[in-house]
Amino acid sequence: MEKKVVLPITDENGYYQIRLESIGGLGANLCGKMLGELGLKYLGLNSVSFSSYGSEKKGTPVKGYIRYSAADLDIKLHSPIKNPHLLVVFHDALLSDPSVLKGCESGTDIIVNTVNGKELQKTFGAEKYHCVYSLDAQKIAIETKSRINVVMLGAMAKVMGFVELKDLNEICKDSLGKKYPASLSQNIDGIRRGYEEVDIAFENGGGKDRNCKGNATKEKDCKSVQESVDCNRDVLIWGYETAPIGGINTCFGNSVVNDLSPSRQGYFPVFIPEKCINCGLCDTTCPDMVFQFQKGEFKGREMMVNKGLDYYHCKGCLRCVDVCPVHALVSGVEAEHPDKKYFMPNQELLRKPGNYEKAGYDGYITSEAFLTEQRMKGGEV
Amino acid sequence: MQGCKQIMEFASGNEIAAIAIKQIGYDLMGYYPITPSTQIAESLDLMKAEGKTDLIMIAAEGEHSAAGICYGAAVGGGRVINATSANGLLYALEQFPVQSGTRYPMVMNVACRTVSGPLSIKGDHSDIMYMLNAGWPILFAHSVQQVYDFNIVALRLAEAVRLPVVVAYDGFFTSHQKRRCMRFERDEDVRNFIGKKNEPYPFFDLEHPITVGSYMNEPDIINNRYQLHLAMKEAKNILPEIFEQYSTLCGRSYKWWEGYCHEDAETLLVLLGSSFDTATVAVDRLRKQGKKVGVLTLSVLRPFPEEELAELLRHADHILIADRQDSYGGAGGNFSMEIRAVLQKYGCMGKVKSLVYGLGGKDFYVEDALAMFETAEENDSKTLYYYGAEKGSFQQAKLEQEMLFAPLSAERTNISATVVQEKQIESQQYSEDGNITEYKHLADDNITEDTHLEKGNITEDTHLMKNKQVIGGQINQTAAMPKRLAPGHGACPGCGIPVNVNMLLRAIEDPVVLLFQTGCGMIVTTPYPKTSFKVPYLHNLFQNGAATLSGLAEICYRKQKKGELPEGDIVFIMVSGDGGMDIGMGSALSTALRGHRLLMFEYDNGGYMNTGYQFSYSTPKGAVSSTSHVGSNQYGKQYFHKDMPQLMAATGIPYVATVAESNPADFIKKAAKAADYAKKEGCAYVKAISACPLNWNDAPDKERRVIEAAVNCCYFPLYEVERGITTLSYDPQKTGKKIPVLDWLSMMGRTKHLKKEEYGVVVESLQKEVDRRFLCLQAKSENPYL
Repeated sequence: MEKKVVLPITDENGYYQIRLESIGGLGANLCGKMLGELGLKYLGLNSVSFSSYGSEKKGTPVKGYIRYSAADLDIKLHSPIKNPHLLVVFHDALLSDPSVLKGCESGTDIIVNTVNGKELQKTFGAEKYHCVYSLDAQKIAIETKSRINVVMLGAMAKVMGFVELKDLNEICKDSLGKKYPASLSQNIDGIRRGYEEVDIAFENGGGKDRNCKGNATKEKDCKSVQESVDCNRDVLIWGYETAPIGGINTCFGNSVVNDLSPSRQGYFPVFIPEKCINCGLCDTTCPDMVFQFQKGEFKGREMMVNKGLDYYHCKGCLRCVDVCPVHALVSGVEAEHPDKKYFMPNQELLRKPGNYEKAGYDGYITSEAFLTEQRMKGGEV
Repeated sequence: MQGCKQIMEFASGNEIAAIAIKQIGYDLMGYYPITPSTQIAESLDLMKAEGKTDLIMIAAEGEHSAAGICYGAAVGGGRVINATSANGLLYALEQFPVQSGTRYPMVMNVACRTVSGPLSIKGDHSDIMYMLNAGWPILFAHSVQQVYDFNIVALRLAEAVRLPVVVAYDGFFTSHQKRRCMRFERDEDVRNFIGKKNEPYPFFDLEHPITVGSYMNEPDIINNRYQLHLAMKEAKNILPEIFEQYSTLCGRSYKWWEGYCHEDAETLLVLLGSSFDTATVAVDRLRKQGKKVGVLTLSVLRPFPEEELAELLRHADHILIADRQDSYGGAGGNFSMEIRAVLQKYGCMGKVKSLVYGLGGKDFYVEDALAMFETAEENDSKTLYYYGAEKGSFQQAKLEQEMLFAPLSAERTNISATVVQEKQIESQQYSEDGNITEYKHLADDNITEDTHLEKGNITEDTHLMKNKQVIGGQINQTAAMPKRLAPGHGACPGCGIPVNVNMLLRAIEDPVVLLFQTGCGMIVTTPYPKTSFKVPYLHNLFQNGAATLSGLAEICYRKQKKGELPEGDIVFIMVSGDGGMDIGMGSALSTALRGHRLLMFEYDNGGYMNTGYQFSYSTPKGAVSSTSHVGSNQYGKQYFHKDMPQLMAATGIPYVATVAESNPADFIKKAAKAADYAKKEGCAYVKAISACPLNWNDAPDKERRVIEAAVNCCYFPLYEVERGITTLSYDPQKTGKKIPVLDWLSMMGRTKHLKKEEYGVVVESLQKEVDRRFLCLQAKSENPYL
């Protein structure tokens, strides 16, 4: 490996930093690993890659971190990346979570996987970034029979500007070729189309200064370093003065305020009440307490009647569609049903939650040896 | 020795440890999967499947046994390796002084992780500090490169002084971050460096039999301990030599400590692990401002390099020792207290402060290191700081506490949809099979034996031959049961756990108390500050859940008896995965044997799914998992699935049942019965087969079909053992629905490979075993004596 890429921009430590924002199942973790290896093996750089770790679950937020530096520099930092040069959002639903764009600055490039790049500007606030790019990676992945992560990889290479397609193809062969030789050409196709189709969604006037120095988080004038660390933290509700001792949680059932709809991957159950015979099988198969059965009347008999679905908590597994004996529940493309006709929030709630928090829990991988293997339908974590 | 050829790897600490272990050529690894060290076993299993190593790998049912396996193998003269973390380390703790005291070398990797009450899996140093008194030398690697190098050095040291050695490193920060590092190209170079193993007292020399592990009190034990003390001194003497020899091979030289800008530093920060590297970046920044600061870390915790440390710290004006753990009630973390003792001993005059930071894997940024330097130089009288603890917001906490749901009172759950009654058994039911009089007697004995335990309300007529009968339990009507679990939990789409827990609870109309053992079910429902439970809930570590619930239940019954709690039935339920029923098998069986009035519910998804799918004892033979890979040398899991219901039935508890979501009516009835036994008579055990789309590698929407196939192929037969009498609930042979096991295996990605002809023998053996077990059940259901 003779090539030595010169990083066009670096921070004060000499690093080029990439942060991936994803949910489990879209392949961001593997994507991060591939980027890390790419830097070391094919770009002549030093590199580090890691993810936010936790318990291993699908459908939960994952953050990936990649640091590149010149080969002769040690990458000493072990901390997550606060001020990335490149932020990659694997699912546009994640943009509603304020932590996703946190630390992005006027020098940051952002790539978003979205169906509608033109509408993207509306979801962004007043903060200035260098440039926001978009592509419909889901569509490309379906058309090329590849995966979202490789499509995003192609898009990233284009935006970074210092990665050539052929190097990506090599790393793809290394990482996926051995295990899935059959799908290699599809993945390479996906990379190429990601590279070609990523496009500027909008430029929102970020400065020419590409040196991400953490300015966005240093706006406040703090007297001491300790204070500046403190004042840049999010307010924590349960601290040592407020939290009940022993880690006891008195807010029973409060997971109900989580909105897990970003876990859905395009499909969701559509309810056709006219066909429903209120057998209740859907309620027995749903892992997420979506079905709202209430006392009522059906064909002149007093019984429990299905009144609707709590889509806040539906993860789109479609178990209910499979068990419904009369096709009163069918699989629908979510984008085609913006009204969600029989949407009924959890009926046992005493009060409306202040706000539903998107995408649930902290992020997530403990095990890597198994990660490269094909998981659920469409799933490499 | 000459320098050896090296190649570059992009690897995590765990991955490079596995490579070192493979290169060294160990004989045996005894282990139990625990985050964040599990990847070592996973990587090695993959190498094994591909024929790259012939390491014997034994997955114990818990760390205690894993340490036992290692000890046995070490006594036998094998080269032995283990890897663990946190609670696992503590579970095995009692074994470690035995091994050092009897002087059998081995190496154990510890990917350091929090030990805590509210469960945390992230990295800090609270586990490794428990090892300080175990008599094991401890090498601490702060980088991926050092994990590799120290693994090789460790075995040399271990065999030179005949002590087991720990290689410790930060969980996640070092164990999981993938970094550039170098390794030897050829395994022989590593093996040459390690050399031949010398055994002073070969155990298998039958001409010279030896006794290991005598019963020893005074005056002898102090002499044995002094030998250990001397061995540690010897380690202190020879480690520099080993480091020196190692550096000639690879060019990387190590010593007791590592420093950065420390020589002329007026302010020194001392910390362990990966934080050292991050802190050097802070040092660079402060040096640019002209501040004389530096940072130090130790590469060896045992033997403790006190003279060297004293020399390093002698000239500093301000010293801040930062610990990623606390010796609560002491003067700081253990590391900090030891360094303070050294400073006192050698008369160092600098101002010393201790600081506790980064607990539970709280990230350590450059800004944090800068703040620590500021703290070190601050002119105050405080000597112990907690860095990073936050007060919280009263205003918001008050809002959060506003109730979201009404409590689930007995009135709300008593929906009269499922009612359990005692039913006289028709005498002719058994007249063909056996003598009914004797049979009655047998049943009577069971109950009489039970009654000596303190039982609240055994009805007068329990001595009559009866079984329970469930009225109602219909799916539509039981939908009226308020859910004890709130939605919004983080289980994967299509996960079977909430399905099974909800199905169980919809049949139980009394108030319930839930205890979950560690596992997916617990993790996804209670990530602080959220909880999905609307009823009283307790988590305990999974080797101990059943025992814990028995204590909890007995106190409740006592309080009720004394009038301190209102009368009324409460059903105590333990929910466990099949993993919890491996490591917690002893506790569960013992709880059953004691006959407490409680219900144990096992959701069996056939693997340790929460930690990335390592195989469990309940994983089907042949299934692929992250510790049973498929390759040219391995076909997946090597042995049959555990038959937990039969183990439970053998304890003589009044009710054992298997349930499946594909048969919901049967499930609901058994759940109601089990709860009735649990509140009136004794222990009940119910096991459900539970889908895991993530690791079964199948479509989430098809899980009920997969479960149905498991039932129809008789891999998971539905039956109950009620007061000793087995009844098959469903015989697929009779309904013409019986399918070969392979049909079920073909539905899941984890077992699909078994369709290939080359695995025919594996499938055949599994089919035979499944048939054998089912024939046993058929026989039992036809004969009440079996």
